[in-house]
Amino acid sequence: MAGSGGLQYYRLPQYKSVDVVRWLRPLSAFDRFIAAAVHNPDVVSSAAIEIFSLNPKPNTENPDHDKLLNLRSSWPSPSRITSLRTSESSRKHLVVALSTFAGSVYFLYVDPVDASIDLELSVDEERPLHSGPVSAVDIQAGGYECVTVGEDGRVNLVSVCQATLESRVLHDSRGLVSYTAAKWGSQEEFATGGLGFGLQWWDRRKAGGLVSQFKGNWAQGSMTGLVHSIDIYPSRNHICVVGGSSGMVLAWDRRWQQQPIFLSGGGLTGTGQATSESDVWEVQYDIGTQTSGINSAPTSKIFPVMMCSEDGILAVVEQGEAPIELLAEDCAINSFDINPQHPSEVVCGIEWESIGILMRQRESLSLLTET
Amino acid sequence: MPGRPSDPDSAIVPFSPMAEDVPLFPVRHGLKPPIFRVFVSWSRGSHLQVACVCPRDESLEEKADGDLGDEDVGGKVLEVKLGTSDANINEAKRRWIAYGSVPPFALLQGRRNSLAAMSRISSSSTFIDWWKHVLEYSQSISELLGNTRLQSTAVIEDPKLVLERVGEPTSLKAAWQLIEIFYVDRHSFSGLAESVVDWLAEFDCLLSEKDTTVSSKLVKLQEQLVNLQVIEDDPEYWEGISSALSVGWLEVVVKLLRLHGSYQLNQLDSRETENGLVEAVAVLVSTMPCLHHDFPAGKLGQYYRTKPDFVKAWEKWRGQISKLDCSAFWVQCGHRQTREGLRNLLQIMLGNINNISAAVFHWIELLVPHLLFIRPLTAGFEEFQGLAQKCMQIKFNNTPNGLVRLFIGILGENTEVVLAECSKSFGPWMVTHCLELLTADNNQNKIFLHEERYNLGGISILELHRLVYAQVLASHPLTSQIAPTYLVSCPKQGLGLLEILLCRQPVQHHQIILKNLEICRLYELDGISSCIKKIAGIYHWKHGRKGAGIYWLQEARDEATLNHIAHHLFESIGRTISDESFKQWEGLIELLGPDVGSAGGLGFLHTYRDFKKSLKLVESGRTSDVARQAIEALIQLLKSPSTPQRFWFPLLHDSLKLLNWRERPLLNVSETNLLLNKLQELSMAKLRPDFCSTELQPNVLSSVRLALARNLSRAFLEE
Repeated sequence: MAGSGGLQYYRLPQYKSVDVVRWLRPLSAFDRFIAAAVHNPDVVSSAAIEIFSLNPKPNTENPDHDKLLNLRSSWPSPSRITSLRTSESSRKHLVVALSTFAGSVYFLYVDPVDASIDLELSVDEERPLHSGPVSAVDIQAGGYECVTVGEDGRVNLVSVCQATLESRVLHDSRGLVSYTAAKWGSQEEFATGGLGFGLQWWDRRKAGGLVSQFKGNWAQGSMTGLVHSIDIYPSRNHICVVGGSSGMVLAWDRRWQQQPIFLSGGGLTGTGQATSESDVWEVQYDIGTQTSGINSAPTSKIFPVMMCSEDGILAVVEQGEAPIELLAEDCAINSFDINPQHPSEVVCGIEWESIGILMRQRESLSLLTET
Repeated sequence: MPGRPSDPDSAIVPFSPMAEDVPLFPVRHGLKPPIFRVFVSWSRGSHLQVACVCPRDESLEEKADGDLGDEDVGGKVLEVKLGTSDANINEAKRRWIAYGSVPPFALLQGRRNSLAAMSRISSSSTFIDWWKHVLEYSQSISELLGNTRLQSTAVIEDPKLVLERVGEPTSLKAAWQLIEIFYVDRHSFSGLAESVVDWLAEFDCLLSEKDTTVSSKLVKLQEQLVNLQVIEDDPEYWEGISSALSVGWLEVVVKLLRLHGSYQLNQLDSRETENGLVEAVAVLVSTMPCLHHDFPAGKLGQYYRTKPDFVKAWEKWRGQISKLDCSAFWVQCGHRQTREGLRNLLQIMLGNINNISAAVFHWIELLVPHLLFIRPLTAGFEEFQGLAQKCMQIKFNNTPNGLVRLFIGILGENTEVVLAECSKSFGPWMVTHCLELLTADNNQNKIFLHEERYNLGGISILELHRLVYAQVLASHPLTSQIAPTYLVSCPKQGLGLLEILLCRQPVQHHQIILKNLEICRLYELDGISSCIKKIAGIYHWKHGRKGAGIYWLQEARDEATLNHIAHHLFESIGRTISDESFKQWEGLIELLGPDVGSAGGLGFLHTYRDFKKSLKLVESGRTSDVARQAIEALIQLLKSPSTPQRFWFPLLHDSLKLLNWRERPLLNVSETNLLLNKLQELSMAKLRPDFCSTELQPNVLSSVRLALARNLSRAFLEE
């Protein structure tokens, strides 16, 4: 299934629904680990985290698809997984934070050499953090703390504390406001997103936590306006990139709060080029492909953003540039992740029960940076 | 379904053992007989729920209270899975095939629609090349069903490995290719005969599960080869070779011949003639002329594209065989088995029906040597049919399996039988997708399958099968997303069914809601879209997620429900009107946004928030400008029809300070009159029996009235 134009693409059937995919950062530079949240509706309690190792140099002549991904370990989840994030901890473990439909949060500690799951931490299962599903979880760089948000309107901070997880309710809107996405911006601050393209900026040092709000005037059109994903680049955390319903990819510069910058979609104002008209499930900065100029660029510059959508598009969009389409699948791409160590590699969770591996080669990378 | 147990040991419902056609499937319920009642109902997908209820045993109840063990349960509910049983393909694999067949199917439908549009404009014969599109479609589906071609590209070849397979051939693929050969491919470059020969080479092992076939015979021989010392003494060896030759597996024949003992170095001298004969036959086999549209790589035989070339080579080849057959060397060959075996092979190659018939087992296997050795120029379908009839008479099989029944149906040119066999053996996926092949280049079939039928409720057979398949897809949560592709290709009832399906999808997860809304957007089902949003809104509201509920209802523009909801909300606000906890509503009010039109009665909340805000500023000692803003909000609130009556008085009471503003009157005459009217209305309402308010204390009422009156007089003076 190799593609053309400097792209290599493999679609690997899993025979069960792949909900979220994430890269793990292994110890060795030669290893590639992928964590996937899977479930099979035919089998009761079949939700699980599966950790695969990827063979990065498959034989391109005759790629043996079964050998490309090897299952290393698996952890059964008591409920279907809604959100998954990874980080490395200072204790030489890889941390996987995940949230479930039942409203719980778990931390898994994964061995960075053989990808086995060494330890599992959870909050008190008798009292779930959220009533109803947890919409999103995000873990801090150190792997000690995560934020969880839910449709029930709670914003929780969960931290590791002497081999257990402790949680603190930062805010509870009692269902009056629902949150659908969350992302850390710094050690103390994070952003959440919700209905009507609403974005909230929180600082946990402040009472109540809420610092500022950004609303999109969603009610004017007929389109839905849910935020599905937020990404923030640590060194310039005044810009939040947001992906949501109706093909919307926009950037919100907290220093100029009046108007969002449309990167894609936004048919109302007509400023952005629509890469897709359906839901944008995930957005991530595609900075790894930029070899230089990150620090020298002006602070208002918005770096290229990779997005995946319900109509099967994986593309890189940039302000004022034509979008670069990397993949056009026949079905939805529900999730993707750019390998932080090897940014030319992208893993996708594909609606039709498969995992997609995309490898951008050097030539195409240089093309990307030139444009 | 109240069936009385006829035989307490086995059956719940009486049945006649004479009726053999009725398939019986035992359901193991594990309950002690007798069973009192059986309830059957449909469950998810093609699952049946069977509830078996035991009779109430009064003696048991008397016996013990807490002594009811597992054996004494009152009944059991079982889930019985119905469905086709192709053991080779499990559910996950089936889903994988279902996903993969969506793009080719959608592409073909798209092409059909654009061709239909084109032919409407220019009535030229654009359908001439239609079968080419169908062939492309068929090949993509075929690829999806698995690559099972024989391959012998191993680096180190095992000399004793004569039969090598990559992957497991499936009946599904065999059936698909068979239909492709007879309905699409037969008008293309490759002839019917060569296609059938190729098909058998790939799928011979599927012809029968129990009876011997050429491939099962060769597999058995393969196992024995390792243990055999003198291979050529064994009759099985020669039988295997003749069988393989009959069906044209030249590679296997040559490989087996080269295992002949006379090739061994220590025997070469003593068996020179024998070896020469074996080699001569091997060479003849490997140079067999074949009429084929392409030259397959790595295969033995001489390939010819055109008929004259082939006929010339064929005559020459047969001449060589006859010459060898009459050769004097046979007399010198001392080894009886070799002599007889080799001459048998020559007879087969010369097309001697008796020798061939002895070497094969199945009528399809007999058909192939006819096409190879007896009448290699068979071209027409009628001729082919006649041949097959003859073969069936010679090699009759009692219990043909689904694949063979399908073959018979195709030969009988009976579309109904073909469809029935497909449905019976391969399920709804096969039927839906192979219908495209059946109608590819056959007008009779096209009319038959597209004709609207009264007994099917006015739909065609084609549409019926698509609807059935779409329902199968929709019954599984993972495949329900692809059902719309098939439903929209059903002209009569497809969209109706799609609407019903979409309205019944679960709304627990907003991702599923959004995916369904996306389907609505693609097929322009605006009504269903707002229906889904309404359902989602109510669901969230009921589960305490007020914000999400209001959001979805607002999206659906459901004013009636929003107004209803507004009244609920006001009750909880009404109690806390001067309370700080109003702050928590901020987020919700933010969500409602400035566009109050779509928010129904909830628009009240927005203005109310503004009023509270400016009132607070007034209390903290701000200027008249702020006070004026508060008054404006107050007037707006009281003018609006969406403000419930019970809020009027608290609003007026809260703004008492504004009414008594020291510097100048904040309200003009008409505004004061409006407020006075509202106050009057309230006082009147107090007299009605259904009015209930504890907050309307007389002294407060009079102070408000006094303030208003004072304001009115000041306003008069000012004007």
